[in-house]
Amino acid sequence: MKLINRYVSEVGKHLPLIQGREDIEKELRSTLEDMLEERAEKAGKPADEAMEIELLKEYGSPQKVAMTYNPHPYLIGPRVFPFFLMILKIVFFGIAIGLSVVTIIQLLSQLSTGVAFMSPDFMKTILQGVGNIISTAIAAFGYVVVAFVLIERFVPDFKIDFEEEKEWDPAALAKEPDADSISRSELIAEIVFTFVGLAILNFYPQILGMYFFSGEESFFIPIFSDVFLKFIPWINLIFLAEIAVDIYLLRNAVWTTATRVAKIIIEGASLVLAIVFVRTTDIIGFTAESFANSPFTPEQAERFVTVANVSITIGIIVVVVIVSVELIKAVIGLVRSLNRK
Amino acid sequence: MANTESLENVVLELRRGVIVLAALSQLSTEQYGYSLLKQLSEQGLEVDQGTLYPLLRRLEAQGLLESVWKLEEARPRRYYVISAEGKKILPKLKKEWADIVSVMKKMLA
Repeated sequence: MKLINRYVSEVGKHLPLIQGREDIEKELRSTLEDMLEERAEKAGKPADEAMEIELLKEYGSPQKVAMTYNPHPYLIGPRVFPFFLMILKIVFFGIAIGLSVVTIIQLLSQLSTGVAFMSPDFMKTILQGVGNIISTAIAAFGYVVVAFVLIERFVPDFKIDFEEEKEWDPAALAKEPDADSISRSELIAEIVFTFVGLAILNFYPQILGMYFFSGEESFFIPIFSDVFLKFIPWINLIFLAEIAVDIYLLRNAVWTTATRVAKIIIEGASLVLAIVFVRTTDIIGFTAESFANSPFTPEQAERFVTVANVSITIGIIVVVVIVSVELIKAVIGLVRSLNRK
Repeated sequence: MANTESLENVVLELRRGVIVLAALSQLSTEQYGYSLLKQLSEQGLEVDQGTLYPLLRRLEAQGLLESVWKLEEARPRRYYVISAEGKKILPKLKKEWADIVSVMKKMLA
């Protein structure tokens, strides 16, 4: 019986960490002992090691036996796989767009500081950009996989209702789009950009700035000053709320009064924040002092500061306009839906 | 080569569903895994241990079977028996099986 005991504990080692592991071992041992006993009876002699070896050989390798007890022979199962693919697409799309924009901005700022088009420095930036996209995509893939493995293991009730699975009425194809129905692609784009914004703000704040190259030296000036830092928690809050509402909308595929109100609150908060931004002095990093150690002459620096401040202000105003439009759209949607009821 | 493999796969798929019904039908009296295996085999249904034991555990987790450990001949054995829930669904499964058989008989005739 020595071999059976060793075999059983070997199977135990390969069993997944599920409840009833000892129970499985106990049942397996009892079965093997039964089988061995039966063989001994048939052979008309007491069980010996040769019989044990024969039996265990037939029963199969410990790994194989342990595998049959594994209820999750996969990392990410069929239940969450469609949603996993969807999130992966969103994340890859977001990384490709976001980092391409970053690279293009870097290239433009290089060109503006005298780096020649297609010169080695210029090509280096392009290659670095491509490398960045690939490495960030691989890292992001890892994070998404880890997140979904955790969902697979620990959130047994997780389920996304894809439109196809719901009761689907072919007549919907002929109908005009409902005012309450959502635009999936718009939502996905919004999630992507909010996510990219969130990632840059929190993990790569150093790319929010301008690189100047002059010969061997490079020189960096951040767009925003330290005053900006105290806004980051508020921006995070708004962005996260936005992503949460968007994901909720993606799942439910239809606007409700609650989601409309949530959207209005979020857009309203963004608007307030943007206005506070415009009214806060010293928030922009491009100042005469920030150019103090730069290879530029004071006149050049002054010109940069003026251009940068004007463009950033214009940028914020554009954001204010976009947010206002979104806010008005959400309010109109709410009023209309309330009137219909 | 590929043909034998796909044949094996199809046969495996066909048997998989049947084994649940076979096991449930035989467990109106309690049995331990190995005795059930032998009983199925005596009646002509050969089932791999690697299929049957995990299946019994799964059916228990689903509430269709109940189990209890008993000490017999100095050896602990886990006895399985159909639960109240299992008794409720067994007639429905039998009916389903009879329907499948009659439909397929006609189709394959």
